[in-house]
Amino acid sequence: MTGHPANGLDDTVHQRVRLGILTIAHEARRVEFSYLRSNLDLTAGNLSQHLGVLENAGLITLEKGYAGKRARTWVTLTKAGRAALAEEIANLKLLISRVEQLETPPG
Amino acid sequence: MTTDSAYSGDDPRQLLSSTRELAQRVRKEQRATWFPLLVFAMVTFAAIPVLRSTGRHLGPCAATGPGLKVCTVYPNAQFVYWPIALVLAYVAIAAFYIYRSRARGVETRVRPYAIAGIVIALVLTGLALWEVHVAPSSGVRNLMGLSGFGRGLASEVPIGLALLVLAWAERNRALLLLTIAYLAVVLFPITFRTPIPAWNLVPQLAAGGTVLLLGGIGFALAQRPLRSSTP
Repeated sequence: MTGHPANGLDDTVHQRVRLGILTIAHEARRVEFSYLRSNLDLTAGNLSQHLGVLENAGLITLEKGYAGKRARTWVTLTKAGRAALAEEIANLKLLISRVEQLETPPG
Repeated sequence: MTTDSAYSGDDPRQLLSSTRELAQRVRKEQRATWFPLLVFAMVTFAAIPVLRSTGRHLGPCAATGPGLKVCTVYPNAQFVYWPIALVLAYVAIAAFYIYRSRARGVETRVRPYAIAGIVIALVLTGLALWEVHVAPSSGVRNLMGLSGFGRGLASEVPIGLALLVLAWAERNRALLLLTIAYLAVVLFPITFRTPIPAWNLVPQLAAGGTVLLLGGIGFALAQRPLRSSTP
């Protein structure tokens, strides 16, 4: 990657709620809609919007089903989602190290 | 609606730190370390009456001096009880993790752990069987550094290896330390012998089972607030 590390940040992933969704999905095989909603403290509508963005970008897949009579939506991270999350974390670390270099007074 | 306490910050440092905290929280919520430990403790303690009641078999002998030889004696049920008990234990552990993670809404990757555990149990049982029936001399045992029955090759060692896999899967340092302590206990030969030969296997099994039981209780207490906070 060339240029400033901020240029490498993908807006789809960099948005903090979507980054949170990807982070949780990365830790689990599948994660349920209500778990994401309570852990990220979002409304159902807001979460649905973010999930739609991630699904359209091919970073997650959504699976609808039932647990008893209760409808459930399961979120699974795709291979592209895993790679995008890894790239975002790497870019954030790079950005932080650049900022720290700038903050360090020349010795 | 979003709140800053849940997941916040557009500053890269804050964003990265929030991401790490979130990942750690999810990992902690997925952990149910106490359950496999208690299941393995149960399997170990249950082995005592089963192995005692099924008689003993004379294994390979090695000459230790002029006119002297030392023979391995092992319970008849050794190669039947452990593979069956361990496979059933992994099935129970996998079922518990799947049920629990579905109820919580965050599914754990338990299948690789259960498969690794079953494969380890079966391979080591096969290795121990080979050691008894095929291995031509004690040199093979020395090469492997293990004596199948005295050091739990077909019993406690698979449990220890599977717990190492679980510690890795759960990124659980406390479980790693407990597993090292458990392996040290079960791999260290207890030379104490009872007047009744059939009871000689008891100290080794009881020591390993006690470490697992205490570990299971400890993790159950430590993970209790997390368990009670969610269904």
